[in-house]
Amino acid sequence: MTDKDFDLSRRSFIDRVLMATAGAGMAAAAPWASAAALAAPMAKGDRVRLGVIGTGDRGRALIQNIAKTRNCTVAAICDNFELHLAKGRALVDASTRAFTDHRAMLDAGGLDAVVIATPLDGHKQHSFDAFDAGLHVWCEKAMARTIDDCGAMVKKSQDSGKLLQIGHQRMFKPTYLNAVRRAKEGEIGAITQIRASWHRQSSWRRPVPAGATDRQINWRLYRDSSAGLMTELATHQIQVGNLFFDAVPTRVMGSGSICFWKDGREVYDHVALIYEYAGGRKLIYTSLLNNARYGCEEQIQGSKGTIEPELGRIYQELPPKELALLRMQADVASGHKRTVPIGGATWFAELPVTTPGDSLGWGEYDETMLQFEGFGEAVRTGKPLPGLLSQAYYASVASLLGEQAMDSSQILNWPTSLVAT
Amino acid sequence: MADVVRFASMGTRVELHRFGAGEDDALTAAQHAIEAVDDALTIHRPSATTALNERLMAGKGAAIDDALLFDALVKIEELHASTLGLFDPAADRRFASAGWSAIAFDRGAARVEVSQPVALDFGGLGKGFALDRACAVLREKGVVSACLSAGESSIAVVGEHPLGGGWPFAIPSPLRPDEILVEIELTDESVSISSTVGAGTAAPERAAMIRPADATIVSVPRCSVAIDRLGAHAEAMSTALLVADEDRAERLLNGDRTRRFRFDFPCGAAIPD
Ligand SMILES: NC(=O)c1ccc[n+]([C@@H]2O[C@H](COP(=O)([O-])OP(=O)(O)OC[C@H]3O[C@@H](n4cnc5c(N)ncnc54)[C@H](O)[C@@H]3O)[C@@H](O)[C@H]2O)c1
Repeated sequence: MTDKDFDLSRRSFIDRVLMATAGAGMAAAAPWASAAALAAPMAKGDRVRLGVIGTGDRGRALIQNIAKTRNCTVAAICDNFELHLAKGRALVDASTRAFTDHRAMLDAGGLDAVVIATPLDGHKQHSFDAFDAGLHVWCEKAMARTIDDCGAMVKKSQDSGKLLQIGHQRMFKPTYLNAVRRAKEGEIGAITQIRASWHRQSSWRRPVPAGATDRQINWRLYRDSSAGLMTELATHQIQVGNLFFDAVPTRVMGSGSICFWKDGREVYDHVALIYEYAGGRKLIYTSLLNNARYGCEEQIQGSKGTIEPELGRIYQELPPKELALLRMQADVASGHKRTVPIGGATWFAELPVTTPGDSLGWGEYDETMLQFEGFGEAVRTGKPLPGLLSQAYYASVASLLGEQAMDSSQILNWPTSLVAT
Repeated sequence: MADVVRFASMGTRVELHRFGAGEDDALTAAQHAIEAVDDALTIHRPSATTALNERLMAGKGAAIDDALLFDALVKIEELHASTLGLFDPAADRRFASAGWSAIAFDRGAARVEVSQPVALDFGGLGKGFALDRACAVLREKGVVSACLSAGESSIAVVGEHPLGGGWPFAIPSPLRPDEILVEIELTDESVSISSTVGAGTAAPERAAMIRPADATIVSVPRCSVAIDRLGAHAEAMSTALLVADEDRAERLLNGDRTRRFRFDFPCGAAIPD
């Protein structure tokens, strides 16, 4: 892609975000997105200087996205595993400093903010160290390994007067934003249930390269470092649920098991949960690792229609067929003998409706870039993207509360002791 | 009194409406009769029929222990003959030579033998057959006026309309629901409607209409209607009318022009505007 092509597709992406977020309802529902789309470009020398901690899979994807922004730049990278650091180096200028210890990177100075893409159990320490060094923090989801640590990160950011932004890219994706707008405008009626799933056909186990340990590479599979499917996958979708319900859950119940991949892992490979929301609304969530037929999707189910944002489709409920035989009952009761029309459309058992629906109307583009333009703008103005941190905080809390509900086989209420955002 | 039960059975929605006299549990008993037929004749879950089919597909004979299945086979033998061989629940798109003629049904011994692998599909008979049994139960229970529908393509009535006289029905065009193909009146009768076009034909469990002579699928846009004392007969006749060539269709229609109908739609009419 030439720079000019890129600029064009970038422009149309941002136009889409702006169109999706236009309107009073959306400004309240996803205010962060329009703020990010309006980010001012900055001259190369003035850009927000980021130090990336963790150049594993995600960290490297982030580095590539940061390079596409017009207001951020990667000024330093850090990874304590030499092989991954080398892969990170390959993506940045030779002049970009590289460290194996994040404290050394912080001490070296020359940064405005850090980007944290380390395993979940490192997020709290790495963000605390960055705040202590007087820097802003952009941290990958989920926030931290415990609900308390998530709150501590929010509090630390408030106390140090530095920004904390968490990476949940769906909050910047035009398809999602447009879906929320259409839902807010009432197109699918009252939303009473969301069925979300992330189903994969994969052990989720990565090969361990020479010089590394299994726990280091496969940190997702061990309880010290991860809540498994809950923090790695469910957070994204619970956040989508909260966004469409415009609320946080009131309580959660669930069941988790190591059901298929009995390979020494400690985290569940099967989870099924119900998150309740005020008014009896529900998010029904499942994630598993040995059947990919239903993939990753959130089915937003309203009284007038359904939205499936991953597929980018919206479906209207079919109007109920007028039941001729039912009318016959009323006719007879009123002493009226009327011909009954029959045999048109046969009424079949209540099988799934497979109508194709309509497109939500937005193409693909990498929304991860926009997250950073938004972050860059927040750093420049010193003002956080409105509403975004609480979205992330509540999504992380909900995923961890779900883990607790499954571990304890109890129905757990939404915590009352959360830090005010 | 007037009451109604609605439930899913025979792969469709069934409604039983009763008006006036009869025992309190008449509709429930009729529902059970329909469900029993579904249990015996379904090929969508394990049943007496799937057990039989397993043997027949292996080219083996089998004893018929299930009373309902036995009765259904008796019916089929009769209806295969009375529809010039056009109603054939053993016709198979995969093997042109498969069909009822490959089956020897010995009523006395309650056994079936086959000359080649075949499988039975009661889809074209089951709904009418089940409604007949339900009507019989209702009559036994003292019901004098009732209307039974299985997916609206099979209707049976017991007695007269609650306001007197026959039950008036209109059969709309499957392609243009605002156009009426024919209006009929039923008293103690059944009607069956078969169609190669229209909303119902796209439903997932619906099998295509197969012409027994050469096992090809009937694809011309067409709709047939048959009225009979018995639902099973109406069912077999509407299927036969749908798959018949011109010649045999004429012969069947001539049997009773007031109770058998066949409507051919212009080709290309399949897509309603
Ligand atoms: N938003 C998304 O869609 C998305 C996708 C994938 C991963 N993630 C998140 O990104 C984070 C990283 O995931 P990943 O798949 O890249 O894992 P990974 O294991 O590939 O990468 C983690 C990297 O951190 C390094 N690291 C560990 N401890 C360190 C320390 N103390 N100092 C410096 N480096 C250290 C590791 O060596 C490794 O290279 C996780 O929080 C994960 O949830 C988010």
